[in-house]
Amino acid sequence: MPDATTDFLKGTLDLMVLKTLSWAPAHGYGIARWIEQCTDDVLQVEEGSLYPALHKLEDRGLIVAEWGITEHNRRAKFYRLTTAGKKQLAASRDYWARFAGAVFKVLETSPAPR
Amino acid sequence: MHDPQQAPAPNARRAATWRRYLRFWGPRAEADVDDEIAFHTDMRARDYMARGLSETDARRAAARRLGDLAQARAECIAIGSRRERRMTRAQLVDAFVHDLRFAWRTLGRQKAWTAVAIITLALGIGANTAVFSVVNALLLHPLPYPNADRIAFVYLEPARGNTTGMSVVVMPGMPVVRAWKENARSFEAFEPYMDEDRSLRTTEGPPVSVNVASVLPSFSEFTGTKPTIGRVFTSRDIADGARVALVSEPLWRGRYGSDPGIIGKSIVLDNQPYSVIGVMPVGYRLPQVEETVSDVWLPLDLRNDSLGVRLVGRLRPGATVAAATRELDAIYARSAGEKPTSLDAGDFTVRLTAPSEMVSFRQSLLLLSVAVALVLLIACGNVAHLLLAKTAARQRELAIRAAMGASRVRIVRQLITESLLLAGAGCVGGLIAGWLGLRALVAIRPDSLAELAEAHMDGTTLLVTAALSALTGIIVGLLGTLQAARFSANDALKAGAISASQSRRQRRLRSILVVSEMAVSTVLLVGATLLIRSIAHLQTVDPGFDTSRLYAVQLSLRQEYPTTEARQAFLADLTARMRQVSGVEGLTISTAVPPWRSFMIGALQTEGDPLPPAGTTSFIDYNRIEPDYFRFMGIRLVEGSTITDTSKAARQVVVNAGFAKKYWPRGSALGRRIRVVYNGQGDWMTIVGVVGDALTSGLLGEASRPMMYLATTDSNQPSVLVRVAPGADPIPSLRRVVAQADPRLPSPTVSNIESVMQRSIARPRFTMTLLVAFTGLALVLAAVGLYGVMAYSVAQQTREIGIRIALGATRSEIASSVLRRGILMAAVGALVGVLGAGWASKLLESMLYGVGRTDPVSFAIGVAVLLATALAACLVPVRRAVAVDPLISIRAD
Repeated sequence: MPDATTDFLKGTLDLMVLKTLSWAPAHGYGIARWIEQCTDDVLQVEEGSLYPALHKLEDRGLIVAEWGITEHNRRAKFYRLTTAGKKQLAASRDYWARFAGAVFKVLETSPAPR
Repeated sequence: MHDPQQAPAPNARRAATWRRYLRFWGPRAEADVDDEIAFHTDMRARDYMARGLSETDARRAAARRLGDLAQARAECIAIGSRRERRMTRAQLVDAFVHDLRFAWRTLGRQKAWTAVAIITLALGIGANTAVFSVVNALLLHPLPYPNADRIAFVYLEPARGNTTGMSVVVMPGMPVVRAWKENARSFEAFEPYMDEDRSLRTTEGPPVSVNVASVLPSFSEFTGTKPTIGRVFTSRDIADGARVALVSEPLWRGRYGSDPGIIGKSIVLDNQPYSVIGVMPVGYRLPQVEETVSDVWLPLDLRNDSLGVRLVGRLRPGATVAAATRELDAIYARSAGEKPTSLDAGDFTVRLTAPSEMVSFRQSLLLLSVAVALVLLIACGNVAHLLLAKTAARQRELAIRAAMGASRVRIVRQLITESLLLAGAGCVGGLIAGWLGLRALVAIRPDSLAELAEAHMDGTTLLVTAALSALTGIIVGLLGTLQAARFSANDALKAGAISASQSRRQRRLRSILVVSEMAVSTVLLVGATLLIRSIAHLQTVDPGFDTSRLYAVQLSLRQEYPTTEARQAFLADLTARMRQVSGVEGLTISTAVPPWRSFMIGALQTEGDPLPPAGTTSFIDYNRIEPDYFRFMGIRLVEGSTITDTSKAARQVVVNAGFAKKYWPRGSALGRRIRVVYNGQGDWMTIVGVVGDALTSGLLGEASRPMMYLATTDSNQPSVLVRVAPGADPIPSLRRVVAQADPRLPSPTVSNIESVMQRSIARPRFTMTLLVAFTGLALVLAAVGLYGVMAYSVAQQTREIGIRIALGATRSEIASSVLRRGILMAAVGALVGVLGAGWASKLLESMLYGVGRTDPVSFAIGVAVLLATALAACLVPVRRAVAVDPLISIRAD
């Protein structure tokens, strides 16, 4: 489904990254894999979007990064949610739920028969 | 077409430099991003391998999956770099705050040390602040007009033949002024003006003398002022020749009780009524740098060729003085050709003068600025020395910090932060000291420097003081940390504390500081001594005439006495009345009274000599006198007689000894004939007597300057010189007598010649007082510096001194060895200082009277005072050295 990978709605990727990190700190690849697995590979995270998004989130203070060692004994940059990030996630989640619900309602509604 | 690869090159290079910097200082964004992406690729490949691909295929697939990440990579790097820059900044600020807190604590622990350092800096900075406030007010803002930096006075000066040895300027005639005003493109404003004293009728008593200025309507725009009430002149007023006047706000407040109803009322000047149309604030004033403010203003009619005006202009933005001068010269040459005026007999060229060049106190201010800069240098030296001593004492603390990983840069930065904090406190103290100093300076100003009262501390002063303090802090900090930057943690932690080479280097640095301070002090001392001796000379100089109990009554007889006969009759009546005043012992009449000079412009020709070339310009001092003038004044008759025949036909003249000596160095001047040639004309006069040189032009004048005394005192501004009995105060009664003789006359100026003569040296004495004060400050600071170095070195050598005493050195040997070092430093400093003073005394030359600028006595006194001070500063350290107890000192440590 190539369309779905490119057509992330603005802010959706940020939200999914924040949600992913709310379980546990993870590196970029881990985040990408998690999203792919969660969506049964429906959504393929594009690296060209993921990393700038991560850096922007870090810049906004929603996540922090530190270098750590992976289970395979490799040096990797791990991202962790900050308190501000948690708040942002909660806010975005509510907003997204309302938004998605609204969109869904529109899509489900058929014009009333005359 | 341009090559896209080439375009971003400069930026790329900058980025490369930046990355190098990052790599050196901490994490770098680029490597981080690359590592992260490489990791991602590896992990993806690993996944593919787990699904059964070969390693090569897996890598290829992973790379394909990722695609081209160049843009994302650049984006990430940019975000990362930005954040790192921000963090670096934050870290620097953090470190600075930390340094500041640490410095605060360190300085707070050593309260006495800190106080000495801050006071020293405050004195040095304060002296500069006070003097700069005056420079700022007098030199940088001499006129309170908008765009004052483009204002220039316009004069004509003789193109050649000026033999007066000073600058001679003349006012251009009205036709030239009109030609300039109409045609000069380099000026955006051109304001001719004139002023004169007139008498203003008052309701309650005799008329008062007021300064009346005449200006064009545009003058209000030129000065950037608006009337307090009423309106300013219009071109209509001038075209109609309307008798309208503006009055100054001070006059309106003082004489008319701030009555707003003054508009439309009439005031009477010299018996002519003028209708008041407005009241002008004090900013509406003539561009006279050091003169009184006008009281009344009248419209100036440029069509009136009989008026003599002065000129001031404002250059257009971007116009240069040279180009403007050329333009005015060209216009002048054209207009002179069209319509000759009396001035064109000579050859004149235009001269533009900036207002600050008109400030007569300028030279003194420059001198004082140099002096306070030197004081600050000495203060810097002292504080640097204090810091050196402290750094030495903190060797161990610094070593520990270095051992714990503080970089050298970090430690030096810490020390400089400390000195900047000191300088900051010194800045605050300096502003306070400067404010007090400025108040004191204004309080003791001579009357003739009234404009000094306008000096105040403004934003510019604050800014300059702050900048000066920051500079001081950095200089002092660098000097004080010179050896801290070099020290080795290893050495310092060892028991011996400071290594021998270290202490040698330190000692040398200290010695250089002290020697420099001594040298600078010597320069100031010699300068101050030169001025003191010059003033002493002026105060004891024989003026060549008797000033005691001598008063001058300066009269102004204008339209009241239009003829010679009327004037003579009035003066006969007035002098008869004056002789009746109790206490008056004698009187005479003359046109010039000391210390005012009057001079003729022209060329002097002696009989038998050829006519001087046309255009020769010189000032020839003269005075018109009564025959008994010399006896009355106590001026010695050298040969011949006083004027014996006052008739116009006789044309007798008396000259001073300087005159006779200049023109007839051998032989007598008696019987010779002279004349003053102006425009090719002049009457021959016969010398009947030679009198002694007298300083009638004031104590700063030159007694032997050639002077002519002419017969006939007829003038519309004569003066009566009166000598009174001891103890009498004749001023009120002399004024009363004038009012009785003619109630229409304005109250005359009555002055005590003796005090006026003394006042003529008030300015040089003021300069001297200030220079002496600053020199005293410098000397005290330098002495403190020498004391500090000597005390420190004795403290350092306590052990060595103890050993020497134990080995049999006598106390006097110890004393002389300590003293020798102190005096040696002072002597070397004095020697350098004498050389410096020999050069710097050029600055003083124009302010010296009766003393040469290389006066050996002044140099000797300066050096002697320095050495004596140095000796005094060494006394306590020497006593301490002598008192060293060998037992205690050797056991110590």
